[in-house]
Amino acid sequence: MIEVRELTKRYRDLVAVDRVSFNVTKGEIVGFLGLNGAGKSTTMKVVTGYIPATTGTAKVAGFDVFEEPMEVKRRIGYLPEIVPIYPDLTVTEYLDFVASIKGVAKKAKKGEIERVLEKAQLKDVRERLTGNLSKGFQQRCGIAQALLGNPPVLILDEPTSGLDPQQQRNVRELIQALAAEHTIMLSTHNLAEVEQICKRAIIIHRGKLAADDLVQNLISRYKTPERTPNFYEVFDTMLNDLDRQATPAANTAVRAA
Amino acid sequence: MGNTLAIAKKELRIYFTTATSYVLLTAFAAITAYFFVVLVGAYAAQTTQFMGMQAQQMLERMNFNDQVILPLFFNIYVFFLILLPMVTMRLIAEEKRTKTMQLLMTTPVRPIEIVLGKYIAASTLIFVMLAITMVYPLILQIYGASTGDAAPIDWATVLCGYLGMFLLGAAVIAFGLFASSVTDSQIVAVLVSFAVLILFWMIGWAGYGQQGFVADLTANLSLINHLESFTRGILKVSDLVYYVSVIALGLFLTHRAVEAERWN
Repeated sequence: MIEVRELTKRYRDLVAVDRVSFNVTKGEIVGFLGLNGAGKSTTMKVVTGYIPATTGTAKVAGFDVFEEPMEVKRRIGYLPEIVPIYPDLTVTEYLDFVASIKGVAKKAKKGEIERVLEKAQLKDVRERLTGNLSKGFQQRCGIAQALLGNPPVLILDEPTSGLDPQQQRNVRELIQALAAEHTIMLSTHNLAEVEQICKRAIIIHRGKLAADDLVQNLISRYKTPERTPNFYEVFDTMLNDLDRQATPAANTAVRAA
Repeated sequence: MGNTLAIAKKELRIYFTTATSYVLLTAFAAITAYFFVVLVGAYAAQTTQFMGMQAQQMLERMNFNDQVILPLFFNIYVFFLILLPMVTMRLIAEEKRTKTMQLLMTTPVRPIEIVLGKYIAASTLIFVMLAITMVYPLILQIYGASTGDAAPIDWATVLCGYLGMFLLGAAVIAFGLFASSVTDSQIVAVLVSFAVLILFWMIGWAGYGQQGFVADLTANLSLINHLESFTRGILKVSDLVYYVSVIALGLFLTHRAVEAERWN
């Protein structure tokens, strides 16, 4: 469903994403991981058609995001890192607006809004102004908005950030339930979450693809006879290894010591 | 088309659910009402004076169009122009600042639809502003009828003046929208629109005392000079073309700026 080939994005001198390639097949939930500034959000912005790639291509459902952006945008539900809400609109007004611009048919709109209100558990606050809601509810408005129109591909940039542990669990369950009919790519800093809901993880470090494998395989790579590390340890070790390889001088220094 | 209307509807909803537009409309109505009262007062005083002098000729020349509505138009447009940058400053700058632009740009909405939707909303608001001031000629129509057998005011002239003021406003907000599209700060947007507005307001003055090409150029570039004939009830193609071109240019530049957003 999502095909990224040799994607590079440069902001003037800064290379944010450097020749990254990966695939996400239909019905998969893929965790997209990396430290802050690694290039996760940038990659997501390119895949959703918000910004163009410097070189390389990205395709969603067979449509090139640069050649046929409208076709791509029709098939993607996107939750940006900063939840795009209008503080002066109520939750229902907000969803009504997003449904309109996403091209949900007039007749289906009401039912569709009810459906996402239900899924994101927003029914109790439907008439409140989004600007007055707590961070957790605003985050859920963002998720609800991404689900409108039932797009086949969901791209969620940190869907559980700002939520309390109970809400995080609810969102995880929601995402797992959605996996049946959607292809989901999500970024997160919560690595326990990745272990729970994602089969596969794509790890980006300093703009480069560091790993693209099943979570299970990544863990067994670092397994020792004594113990199986958790995913957090795996992630940490992997990035440390990469940093060491990137600076051989430091490496020799360590050895000399 | 559907997307354009959805965006216009959203903008109007924000205009009319927040205090901004009500403060704007109230301030505009209060200031113009004051001028109306003063002008009607002056008209009444002058009429009484001529009656005392038994100056029948002068009395016959008195009419609401020239003595009340025309000066009122000139007072209305000044305050109208001053308030207009406030109408447009939010429109795109705010979307950029709160990152909702990202939402608009990742849904199947074309930049032109964003621009037109917002422009329609702002035009509707300035239409409402002007519609409120229609109450003044209406008052003259209702209460001024006793002065003679002829109709108290010439509505064709009044409506032509309103058309001119609406076009003037529409031209200014097209540039205001552009100013809002090049920044994510509302203050910068409002300052840029004021700068452009004042430049094209005063440019006509630069030509005073000049002759030939310079005088023609500055007079024709001026936003205000083109209003003159409208207020006198004369519809000139050149004035229409001027305002429509300014609107088209403003919207074209805004479209380019919105389109450029993704290339940053």
